[in-house]
Amino acid sequence: MLKPSTLAMILAGSRVDNLNVLTYYRPKSAVPFGGFARVIDFALSNLLHSGIEQVAILSQYRSYSLINHIGTGAAWDMIGRNRGVSILPPFKDNSDNLEHADWYRGSADAVYKNLDFVEYNKPEEILILSGDHIYKMDYQDIINYHHQKDADLTIAFVQVDKAKAHRFGIAAIDSEDGETGGRVTGYWEKPEAPESDWASLTVLIFKPEVLYQALKENQQTDSFEFGRDIIPRLMAQGKKVYGYKYLGYWGYTGTTEEYWQASMDLLGKNPPIDMEAWGLRTNMEHRGICDAQPALIRENATVHNSLVYNGCIVEGTVKNSILFPGVHVEKDAVIENSVLFFNNHVGENCKFNKVITDVNSVFGKGVCVGPELTEEAKDVTLIGWNNHIPDKMRIAEGATVYPNITVEQWASVKSVETGEVLK
Amino acid sequence: MSAKKEALVLLLAGGVGSRLNILVQSRAKPAVPFAGHYRIIDFSLSNVMASGLTKVGVLTQYKPLSLMRHLGMGEAWDFTGRSRGLKILPPHTGFQDSDWYKGTADAVRQNIDFLEKNPADEVVLLSGDHIYNMDFHAMIEYHRFKKADVTIGMMVVPISEIYQFGAGVIDDQNRIIDWEEKPEHPKTNLASMGIYVFDYKYLLDSLYKDKAEVDFGMHILPRAIDNDNVFAYPFYGYWRDVGTIQSYWEANMDVIRRDSGISPAEWGIRTNIEADGRPADRPPARFGDDAKVSCSMISAGCVVRGTVINSVLAPGVVVEEGAVVRDSILFADCTVGKNSSVDLTICDKRVRISGDSVVGAGNNHDVANIQQPSHLYTGISLVGKEAMVPSGVTIGRNCIVGSHTKEAAFSTKKIADGETL
Repeated sequence: MLKPSTLAMILAGSRVDNLNVLTYYRPKSAVPFGGFARVIDFALSNLLHSGIEQVAILSQYRSYSLINHIGTGAAWDMIGRNRGVSILPPFKDNSDNLEHADWYRGSADAVYKNLDFVEYNKPEEILILSGDHIYKMDYQDIINYHHQKDADLTIAFVQVDKAKAHRFGIAAIDSEDGETGGRVTGYWEKPEAPESDWASLTVLIFKPEVLYQALKENQQTDSFEFGRDIIPRLMAQGKKVYGYKYLGYWGYTGTTEEYWQASMDLLGKNPPIDMEAWGLRTNMEHRGICDAQPALIRENATVHNSLVYNGCIVEGTVKNSILFPGVHVEKDAVIENSVLFFNNHVGENCKFNKVITDVNSVFGKGVCVGPELTEEAKDVTLIGWNNHIPDKMRIAEGATVYPNITVEQWASVKSVETGEVLK
Repeated sequence: MSAKKEALVLLLAGGVGSRLNILVQSRAKPAVPFAGHYRIIDFSLSNVMASGLTKVGVLTQYKPLSLMRHLGMGEAWDFTGRSRGLKILPPHTGFQDSDWYKGTADAVRQNIDFLEKNPADEVVLLSGDHIYNMDFHAMIEYHRFKKADVTIGMMVVPISEIYQFGAGVIDDQNRIIDWEEKPEHPKTNLASMGIYVFDYKYLLDSLYKDKAEVDFGMHILPRAIDNDNVFAYPFYGYWRDVGTIQSYWEANMDVIRRDSGISPAEWGIRTNIEADGRPADRPPARFGDDAKVSCSMISAGCVVRGTVINSVLAPGVVVEEGAVVRDSILFADCTVGKNSSVDLTICDKRVRISGDSVVGAGNNHDVANIQQPSHLYTGISLVGKEAMVPSGVTIGRNCIVGSHTKEAAFSTKKIADGETL
């Protein structure tokens, strides 16, 4: 077997504040998604199906859940003589070497600090990815384009709603190769008044020498991000930067509302996200989901337009919702437009409307979360993990309940009002 | 495997289980799927794991490929590690013997070198054919307390069923004083569950003694009862042999029935989730807008757009709009087309039923299968692996559609009750 020529580095260190309580104990890439998987599984499965088998994961923020999830990498076929997943946490160097005596100060700093690892692998190209996005891409297509153009850097872009473009890295791409892509003629990181609607997917292919040089130069500054610093630097130097146009589905889950929307994109007759067709793989050992018994749908249950994984027991009604392994919905409970992470227990007569609950919460009888079922919910109501919510509690629309609220504190709570944050 | 002295487990998984008909056409009975994504042998293996036993030999003989693929290295049951292990023991040629296993004792005898390489105080001898939850650790403790040479797991069964089992008569100390193998006129209702704890040395001596003794139930146990210390270990929980189509179907229905006494989840049953070279893991089961599902078990990867009542669906089953599945067991990746109905039927893997067909039609549940009246006589129909049922076909009760049947093989639109195709 040939030694792999591409080294992939996944940026999986960030927390993403806007995901609120979902990222209090895990990085965004380890957030559960799709009824059994994690967000990073999309990038890992893309790598698997693209035949890229040398992978490094840069992690920093609360890595435990992520490290646990990656395991040996066997779930994505990444073990073997020339295959492997390496997790690269921040580390200390000799104390007199100041540049290493620090946490990762940004994505570019994280790669810079691991340059000896990168160079040791002698890659022909370096693929930098975010572990935070939901999409299906064959990276060989963009790598081929990168070689065809003999580019220094090739970046994947996707067309977004111009009103939202200010949140992304935005590029102007010329029409050199039409539908496929073209030369990047301008790049702006999170511009206030975007001139284009092509947003970066954070899929970057570098010529190794160009990357090494840029990272070293970047160390002289005080900002260390690929989007904010490295790409503009290469643009300013007149390097050959190309844009590859990605035309498929892109789920950007930067806020709870976006996370909820991307989850709803798993539902319906022809869902935009088709995990089976995309070949999505996850680590079935993580949380023991391979041991979960197939779902039991009891006598008076109703399940419409929903995903339900093994380990669930449904005795009530579930509509337009996603149930992760081990969720139990008791009789006369109604769950609508919601995403319930692992091992939530929903008591009799509970009513949920547009709710995301993190793992391991127990809802007593008759708990109402979100607006009335007859109303259309605007805002997501969020429940952090390990809560024990007393009978008949009302948690109004848009409220946030922090993780691990004690039973004593719950005893003093009468209700959680619209938009309230219960800490 | 190390020389650490811990009870050694031998699992007899060579049984044909021929009464399971086409379900064992391409696999041994222990490898028959059960309760969605499990296989029958998962119950024995999970019991072994939960009992803290870590050295297992699996004796195979009949159609072992499916079973071997399922067992892998035993990772699913935590049998991998420096001092742990799961070894497959197939029949093999030796200096003189170049024969298949002639019986359960002969099978163990032919692997006596495996026994000798793994010294232990006790050997737990199990069958891979049964659905139950049992703590072998407790049984071994009992065996030691009784200072027994052999301890046999036994339970009370209806006297009308005892003819299928080894039956024992016990004294007030639970010592077995009389033994009948598959008696026509039984003296007792205490049946052997095919679970034995042997003193290690006693087992070796017995096997060396007389090579003509090829079966435990027929030869070794009766002699041991006559001459040595054989005790019954009473068991009171759920235990099923699932050796017939009817008992297999009933045990599956027990899984979806409340308070039936069987729960793979509560029992901690593990399985080896089949990858089978699939590019994707099975996603969660998908329920359509008009799905109606009740009293059913639905595995990952299923897509339900129609109605499923009182049924067990293995991974990847698709039930299209307007289709109705009732009182049935569908193995992995079966498809039930639009407006078809499947009633009281077991479909093996990858059966494809086109639209507007009826499998399990009419009320003649008592018209037994003509070719196999002793296998199918309660109304259950069987559709074999990868069979294709064309559109507009009606299949009656107690019918068999053979494995790999092509649409063209259906020369008429109607398969009458008791027919075999």
